[in-house]
Amino acid sequence: MSEPSGGAPLLETRGITVRFGGNTAVDDVSLSVAPGCVTGLIGPNGAGKTTLFNTVTGMQRPTSGRVLLDGTDITGRPVAKRAALGIARTFQRLELFLTLSVRDNVRVAGDIVNAGRRFRGGSIDVEAETDRLLELTGLTPIADREVSDIPTGRARVVEVARALMTKPRLLLLDEPASGQTEHETDEFAEMLAGLAATGLGICLVEHDLPLVMKLCSTIHVLDQGRLIASGTPAEVQASPEVVAAYIGGEVLA
Amino acid sequence: MDLFLTYTLVGLVMGAVYAIAASGLVLTYTTSGVFNFAHGAQAMLSAFLYWQLSVGWGLPVPVAFVLVVLVFGPLTGVLLHKTLMHGLRDVAEVTKVVVTVAVLLGMVSLSQWIWNPTEARSVAMLWGNSTSFELLGVRIRYHELLCLVAAAALAIGLRLLFTRSRVGVTMRAVVDDPDLLRLNGYNPDRVAMASWAVGASLAALAGVLVTPVAGGSLEANTLTLLVIDTFAAAMFGRLRSIPRTFVGALFLGLASTYLLGYAPTDWDWIGNVKTALPMIVLFLVLLVLPQDRLRGAQQRTRERTRVPSVRFAAGWAVAFVAIMFVITKIANPLMLGPWTAALAFSIIALSLVPLTGYAGEINLVPLSFGAIAVIVAYHTGVSGTGLDATLAWKGLLIGTVAAALVGGLVALPALRLRGLYLALATMAFGGLVSTLVLSEVTPRDWPIWGENTIFPAAVIAMPHLDAGPLDLDDEATFLMALAVLFAVLGVALVALRNSGYGRRLAAMKDSPAAAAMLGQSLVRLKLSVFMLSAAIAGLGCILMASAVGSVAPDNFLIVASLALVMLTVVGGVSYVSGALFGGFMVGMGFSLINGTFGNLEAGSDMYAGLFGSLSHVFAIAIALTGIGVNRNPSGIVNDICESYRPLRNARPVLYVGVAAGLVLLGLNWVEVIGDWSFAIGIFCVVVLLPVLGRIWMPERVLTESELAEHRSRAAVVPPELRALDGPLDPEERYDLDTYLGLPARALPALDETPSDLEATRV
Repeated sequence: MSEPSGGAPLLETRGITVRFGGNTAVDDVSLSVAPGCVTGLIGPNGAGKTTLFNTVTGMQRPTSGRVLLDGTDITGRPVAKRAALGIARTFQRLELFLTLSVRDNVRVAGDIVNAGRRFRGGSIDVEAETDRLLELTGLTPIADREVSDIPTGRARVVEVARALMTKPRLLLLDEPASGQTEHETDEFAEMLAGLAATGLGICLVEHDLPLVMKLCSTIHVLDQGRLIASGTPAEVQASPEVVAAYIGGEVLA
Repeated sequence: MDLFLTYTLVGLVMGAVYAIAASGLVLTYTTSGVFNFAHGAQAMLSAFLYWQLSVGWGLPVPVAFVLVVLVFGPLTGVLLHKTLMHGLRDVAEVTKVVVTVAVLLGMVSLSQWIWNPTEARSVAMLWGNSTSFELLGVRIRYHELLCLVAAAALAIGLRLLFTRSRVGVTMRAVVDDPDLLRLNGYNPDRVAMASWAVGASLAALAGVLVTPVAGGSLEANTLTLLVIDTFAAAMFGRLRSIPRTFVGALFLGLASTYLLGYAPTDWDWIGNVKTALPMIVLFLVLLVLPQDRLRGAQQRTRERTRVPSVRFAAGWAVAFVAIMFVITKIANPLMLGPWTAALAFSIIALSLVPLTGYAGEINLVPLSFGAIAVIVAYHTGVSGTGLDATLAWKGLLIGTVAAALVGGLVALPALRLRGLYLALATMAFGGLVSTLVLSEVTPRDWPIWGENTIFPAAVIAMPHLDAGPLDLDDEATFLMALAVLFAVLGVALVALRNSGYGRRLAAMKDSPAAAAMLGQSLVRLKLSVFMLSAAIAGLGCILMASAVGSVAPDNFLIVASLALVMLTVVGGVSYVSGALFGGFMVGMGFSLINGTFGNLEAGSDMYAGLFGSLSHVFAIAIALTGIGVNRNPSGIVNDICESYRPLRNARPVLYVGVAAGLVLLGLNWVEVIGDWSFAIGIFCVVVLLPVLGRIWMPERVLTESELAEHRSRAAVVPPELRALDGPLDPEERYDLDTYLGLPARALPALDETPSDLEATRV
């Protein structure tokens, strides 16, 4: 495993296994995500990528294994606590607040952060931060639309903006580019690279392999719940297991 | 030993009946996703029908039994599924709950119409109360044996059904993934319908069996609330597992019998505890149930609401107070009583706006929390007697806080779980309050409190608040005070919804998973909003008690709470005006309808029967409006708002409306028309104005697409009238060709079909 320079990993999973009845969705997966860069997590459908995300965020309790954030074991912590520690995510099947406008979807994340920090100080200026993030993600023109009326590609960006509102250290993106046009994807990639440059650790699950290859410094490949390869884009593309897992599926760029 | 065996037998029989009822409930819930609050009401209706057939009409017992359990039961199940439950897949939990609650209320009204509740009826055991045999020194009656055998057969039968038969396996599949089932060529609706038929049949069986076991006398409310005991048993299996439900049912049956049998004889309250045992156990089970997993993958529900701005709400609040002021001036002084009661109920209904409207959580018994507030306020704040009695601010405050605290305690165990569990917990709490608190009508020596009575002599006289210079004993003043309070609370709630807190509630309602992922503690947020809601309910109930003058346990009945909740949802639970609708329907509608028809009935010999029936028809009609929530889950207020929205561009229509209102007001002022005609006239104006707008100024009111449709409808001339004078457009030619059996020429392809457009949307 090639560890990017920059010291300790931000996120580390150690031997994560998740079983649903007799079905093993994630099988003894140990991997790490470094701060300040984009780490890819790829694999065919049903490889266990979303389930792994769920164990990292606390939505799914692993059958065994541990999740560490900055070296601290957070395996038993509830979802909301992990968010306060700096984990944010987007959802593959969109989880927007459908009765709120685009702006309020972002704004409410700030409300939640401030409510959690009411007695600890460090509250954020919700209005200013909302405007800044809407501008950054290019959502300002549609800020006052109902979120249920916008196309899927834009909705995914709303989820990203909402996640950024919590000022995370680790951002998990679950297929953020699906539904986006080519032009939108390019802009999106640029934005992610910019965010990573500020020190944010990003873990990207994505089927758009050219995007993954372009953005990620490290890529982990899952197949049927098992981690079959980890490394730079070039190393992963050269791995025979990876090629075998993808035969008949997408062709690696 | 013999005694123990006898208790065990009685307990097992009771448990067997619970098990039969509970497995029906679980069956329908798992296969259709609709928790049937009317399950007990179905049992009740079946028991009454059985009485009618066997006792009333003297049919042989087996015939009556078969007709009720194997014909009437399944028929009601199929009917319920076909007409209602079938359409409840894409609605919020609140809507599902309210529809079944409406069915419950409708069935209660129906039974009271057909079977006058003041007459006593009793049902004997099958094969009579004395046919029995002895085993190990215990006398077992055949009826009891039948209960045990039926439950055992059911347990085995359901087990075989689910593991061995095709229907059973598909039933399980419906729960797991209805879409996948559809792909495999099964129809999930048909499976759900089968389960509703079986479930209703089990409810009927339980209804027929339980009455003789529980003493023999038929009582509609008790049987209807059997559903609480039933879901307490089902809670053991997380509302899903039938074997664990059986265990829970037997446990409840045995525990309650032993409790009654072995308690010291001087514990006179033990009977009430026995009745309340399922509800107590329910809370204990809630405490140990594992937390629900956060599930993502939401689906869009049919409910739609708009959030008014604070300024808009404040404008309406001022208008509302002004209208109420006018009403105190013009209304018949005798009518002020119902008006104040209606306003007090509206404040109670307001408690549902933040909880159910904003946060999507359900409290089915606001009046039970209110009862706590009333009792506490009475004991802490009322001084003086008779006409000199007053309620101090302290009492109002402590009562309100007590309701909030009790609300927090009740909700806490259920908050980790899905919304339905909270609804069930509140209903169980309603049962607890009725059986343990409101029944405490005689003095008792309490540990700290000393010799005291919780609910003295079953009547609490609640004097008016001592508000300093404001004389609330004056009815008009009290009415205005309530109106101002309602307006202020309403604006405050709208402001709350527009604050960060309100947005967080909306976020939690829309997607709990995403809200938690952003760092929101769901339990804390739900707890805070539930306590706020209970406090408002408490405040409202104290005011209601003081508006009515004195309250009895009957004022806090669970069914009364259910009616208030249902009517508020019918009005539109996300809106302050929806609460107003609910409050007025309960506080004024019911009393007026009953009063009016009662007077008519008393005043007319010839039509007494007709007027008596009409009041029942109205009670059922009100339940039907709750069932109508199925069609219109956003509420009446939302509908009216939406119909008025386009009228902003058509000012003249609004001027006509205002003018018509003023004319009616003037006519009422000079007493040409009475209050009732005035009210009906205003109602007609409100409803007809949007219609007038569409007819008079379509180009200003209708949207572009509606306008296009309107024009094309006006412009279209069918081909047979036009003959061949003009050229046919391609679509008409296609239709004509197909009609004449000619080979049709293809229609020109459309660039974008609507379905493609849909697919790119969220």
